[in-house]
Amino acid sequence: MPQLTGGRVLREALRGQAGRITGSALLSTGHQAGEAMVPVVIGVVVDRAVGTGSSSQLLLWLGVLGAVFLTLSFSFRFGARLGERAAEQAGHVLRVRLTDRVLDACGGADTGRLPGALASVATSDAGRVGMVALVLPLGVAGILGLAVGAVALLRVSLPLGLLVLLGTPLMMGLAHLLGRPLQRRSEVEQDRIAHTAGLAADMVGGLRVLKGIGAERAAAERYRLSSRAALTATVHAARAKSWHDGTLLAVNGLFLAVVALVGGRLAADGAISIGALIAAVGMAQYLIGPLSMLVWVNGELAQGRGSAVRIAEVLASPAAVGGDAPLTGPITGRLAVRGLTHGGLRDLDLDVTAGQLVGVVTADPAHAEALVDLLGREREPDSGTITLDGHDLSTLDPEAVRAALLVAAHDAELFEGTLRDNVLAPAADGSTVPRQRTAPATLTGQADTAADGPLTAAPAASGTDSLLGAALAASGADEVAATLAGGVDGALAERGRSLSGGQRQRVALARALAADAPVLVLHEPTTAVDAVTELRIVNGVRRLREGRTTVVITTSPALLAAADTVHFVADGALTASGTHEQLVREHTGYRATVLA
Amino acid sequence: MTEQRELLPTATGRQAVAALRALLRPRRWLAAAGLFVLTAATAVGLAVAPLLGHVVDLVTTGAPASAITTPVVALAVIAVLSGAATAYGLTLIARLGEGALAELRERFLNRALRLPLGQVERAGSGDLTSRAGNDLNAVASVVRSGLPELARSLLAIGLTLAGLAVLDWRFMAAALLAAPVQLYTVWWYGGRALPLYARQRIAVGAQQQQLLETIGGAPTVRALRRREEHLGRVTGRSQDAVDLTMRGVNLVTRFYARLNLAEFIGLSAVLATGFLLVRSGEVTIGAATAAALYFHNLFTPVNIALGLIDDVQAATAALVRIVGVADLPEPAAPPAARTPADASLHADAVSHSYTADRPVLHDVTIAVPAGQRVALVGASGAGKSTLAGLVAGVHQPTSGSIRVGGVGIGDLDPSGRRAVALITQEVYVFAGTLAEDLRLARPDATDAELTAALERVGAAEWATALPEGLSTVVGEGGHRLTAAQAQQLALARLVLADPAVAVLDEATAEAGSAGARVLEASVAAALHGRTGLLVAHRLTQAALADRVVVLDEGRIVESGSHDELRETPDGRYAELWRAWSGRRDADRAA
Ligand SMILES: Nc1ncnc2c1ncn2[C@@H]1O[C@H](COP(=O)(O)OP(=O)(O)OP(=O)(O)O)[C@@H](O)[C@H]1O
Ligand SMILES: [Mg+2]
Repeated sequence: MPQLTGGRVLREALRGQAGRITGSALLSTGHQAGEAMVPVVIGVVVDRAVGTGSSSQLLLWLGVLGAVFLTLSFSFRFGARLGERAAEQAGHVLRVRLTDRVLDACGGADTGRLPGALASVATSDAGRVGMVALVLPLGVAGILGLAVGAVALLRVSLPLGLLVLLGTPLMMGLAHLLGRPLQRRSEVEQDRIAHTAGLAADMVGGLRVLKGIGAERAAAERYRLSSRAALTATVHAARAKSWHDGTLLAVNGLFLAVVALVGGRLAADGAISIGALIAAVGMAQYLIGPLSMLVWVNGELAQGRGSAVRIAEVLASPAAVGGDAPLTGPITGRLAVRGLTHGGLRDLDLDVTAGQLVGVVTADPAHAEALVDLLGREREPDSGTITLDGHDLSTLDPEAVRAALLVAAHDAELFEGTLRDNVLAPAADGSTVPRQRTAPATLTGQADTAADGPLTAAPAASGTDSLLGAALAASGADEVAATLAGGVDGALAERGRSLSGGQRQRVALARALAADAPVLVLHEPTTAVDAVTELRIVNGVRRLREGRTTVVITTSPALLAAADTVHFVADGALTASGTHEQLVREHTGYRATVLA
Repeated sequence: MTEQRELLPTATGRQAVAALRALLRPRRWLAAAGLFVLTAATAVGLAVAPLLGHVVDLVTTGAPASAITTPVVALAVIAVLSGAATAYGLTLIARLGEGALAELRERFLNRALRLPLGQVERAGSGDLTSRAGNDLNAVASVVRSGLPELARSLLAIGLTLAGLAVLDWRFMAAALLAAPVQLYTVWWYGGRALPLYARQRIAVGAQQQQLLETIGGAPTVRALRRREEHLGRVTGRSQDAVDLTMRGVNLVTRFYARLNLAEFIGLSAVLATGFLLVRSGEVTIGAATAAALYFHNLFTPVNIALGLIDDVQAATAALVRIVGVADLPEPAAPPAARTPADASLHADAVSHSYTADRPVLHDVTIAVPAGQRVALVGASGAGKSTLAGLVAGVHQPTSGSIRVGGVGIGDLDPSGRRAVALITQEVYVFAGTLAEDLRLARPDATDAELTAALERVGAAEWATALPEGLSTVVGEGGHRLTAAQAQQLALARLVLADPAVAVLDEATAEAGSAGARVLEASVAAALHGRTGLLVAHRLTQAALADRVVVLDEGRIVESGSHDELRETPDGRYAELWRAWSGRRDADRAA
């Protein structure tokens, strides 16, 4: 998507709500016109009824007043609803779109951005862009309201009308100028307030750690100092704003005096009626409304534009990985790494024979991370290739790659929901990516031949249940299910917080196994479990993955001993290959790394 | 949104009012001064309508055009006076509001940080976070913009009514015809809006939590190709929040429609009254005009005041969530705070359950003599982390007691040096400079002490290599530390906190074997001279400990030295050790 700018994001958001925005603009205009008519009608009532004592005129014009109120009230009610709906819906659409972009198979949107910052773009910024849909009709209505007022006033008296119409914006401009230096100062002080708010969230986020070292008091004290500094800042800012408001009030009052002076003289000379004088005075007051609304609308538009730019930046983040070729036909699961250079890896060559359980040991943990990122298609390598059955991963559709080659990262997250929903993706996803057969009986066989085309049918319930059972047993997560009140349907708290560390790790492993991918890459899958459980997992994984390619990136001897082949990567390059026993015997560097 | 989620308490209306009163009491003179100045400002401003009415009268009675100058000059003077007084009054009110707000947020955070962790976690992290963020902001914005507006509007309304009464009491009576409709509308709205806002705040919190979970877990979602599922979750939560907001909007617009009706009733009544009074010669046309202008000028303040009810409702929904936490009763202070006699650690018959009727620890008794190191091992899920948390006072045991140097951890002097510190594999780097992060553990530490602590855990090298050394901004938005660096930072905090007892729960597990070795050296340095309880699956740590305690399904099944237990036939530890070292020994032998 070339050239996604903030302007375009904004325009698209508005276009999506065009109907509502138009409706809201029409109705809001009706509302403003009604508000403008009220002082005019008051003037007429004084002129024609109070001044003359005619009851019929009174009733007539009070009826007109009623009609004006009815119009302004109904147009406000439905105009505001349409506008708010447009704003909320536009924000919602952007929120979903941002989430979609972050989750996009090509990645890239979350590179270098923290989850908190991204979530705030999806909430605050999306909301601000949505606000534009609300304020735009108000801006239109404000301008048209001004126009209605202007026509009414000019018809009453040309000189008085001109005075009010030219004087009001002039007065507003003057007040704005007077207030500007004060406001500029207050903007600097806003930062201090924001800092305090951020500090509170940060401390609550690190609550566990704070409690661990008993730093609650120190943290509260730090917050108090920041809060006091913010207090000084806000009081300064408030003082600036108060004097600005006061100035506005004074300027407005002075202007009214001028209108009264000119209007009063005209009326005294008989050039205009009393009613016209009242209408002019009323209008001088009324015009402040739409004008300050326009100022506000302008401010909101500026904020909306700023937010749209931030949203556009996220939406247009360069994809972390590319490729669109489909991956068809049976996957045998042969992996070949050639000249791979990335994040500490230098010219790495590595071969994984189809159907084997292969261990990869890196002397530096950072190199393992780099390899995991590359295999999982989170990053493009600086140079070199990884091929699956001879297809370069970089050319393939990342979604298809992940269907065939699942990387279970060490820091994978669990999600709120039941154990079952965590392990098996909830059904009916309509996925058309190649899927393996699901019956456990065939899990252990030569499964490759079955995966020769996209299967769209959801696996039968009994199939998923036995798949679930097999994955839970192999990962030792069956024990976890046994401790939960609802068994496999027991609920996990957010991020699996209600489980022990090792339980979380086992559930994540079960999830990776249940995906039943032709090639599975596991990164340090057993760091949080005890040695006995680890052995059980090693056997379980070995048995369940029999005949299919499984790569374990680890330094655990128990896992490595079960591998058919082990590759040792030191200084970013392949240093030795063989069985675990051979390497332990023959390679001191390897021994030092795994037998720590 | 699982059934088990148990949100943190919210205050009742009465509690919130009491909390507000407590905040305002020390500031009552400021409040009085602010109100007085604003009243004066508004009162002066009220002379405008009669002066305009006077102009009308001058015109109708055929006075010369020059006679108009006097009231106009008066108008100008009033403009300047009321502008200045308003500005000053608003400043006073802002000092009042901001001061109270600062005190409220400080009290909230102070209490929130001392909540039991279990309670916070049962509520879900989003609950406390959204109170600290969204809710504090909602209250602040009402205080910042709403409070001054409200003060001015209410004054304007009161004084305008008084002004009408001065013109003729019947004008005021006519104006008050609008009041029943307004009061009814407020009552009608308040009953409906408050519950709606409470639900909307919860929905927004849930949306926030889902976004954080989905975005934070984006790599996992991509790897597992669960995009559709998560997109669906986010869409659902967002749509819920939107729908509730729209229900609020529908309510608000109906609220304003009723206020329009009240405006029409009042304005017609005032105009008709003016008509009748002028016809019977009791008031001048100018007075009738002034009355109508008065009433028209009431529209804005009335709408602002009543509209603020809307904001106030939203802020009230937020305020009760803040006060609910801020005013939680303090845990009973220890009757007589005592200092531990030594650095020994005792857990006596400790039992614990996270959820009723699912105990995870049963009658666990452990004694660690001062200066010794005990390793806690056992199967995953056996209850090791639970015990570690209890010992460190992060959770309260369901039954049993924990003592340090003979003193129950509840009886320790809370302001004294921390007796027990806990480090887990969960790393967190606080936003701010590296020095600020470290000083959380010891606020009065000098730079030299900070550096010494870093040096001790082997972190000095990378710390001094940071772009700005100790002043480098780390944490959210700052320089990113690796997991191992963050863990060393945690150990440096431990050194600074200097507790007698250190509990380490898998503090080296995250780094993988190679990294673990570096961290194990850091751990050893940090533990030097302290009593240590170590949870570790890496049994090299257990082998170095003075004693090993084996936990299984929440019970202690074995306890003794590494060598003793290793030799116990059919022992749990022997089995663990065989599994752990089996490969390694075989390999070493090879
Ligand atoms: N916050 C919680 N809410 C409910 N249950 C919990 C919670 N934390 C732990 N549990 C349960 O308590 C039991 C003991 O957990 P604990 O974390 O103490 O185990 P552990 O021995 O540390 O295991 P591991 O070696 O896997 O870290 C487990 O069954 C776990 O599911
Ligand atoms: Mg644990």
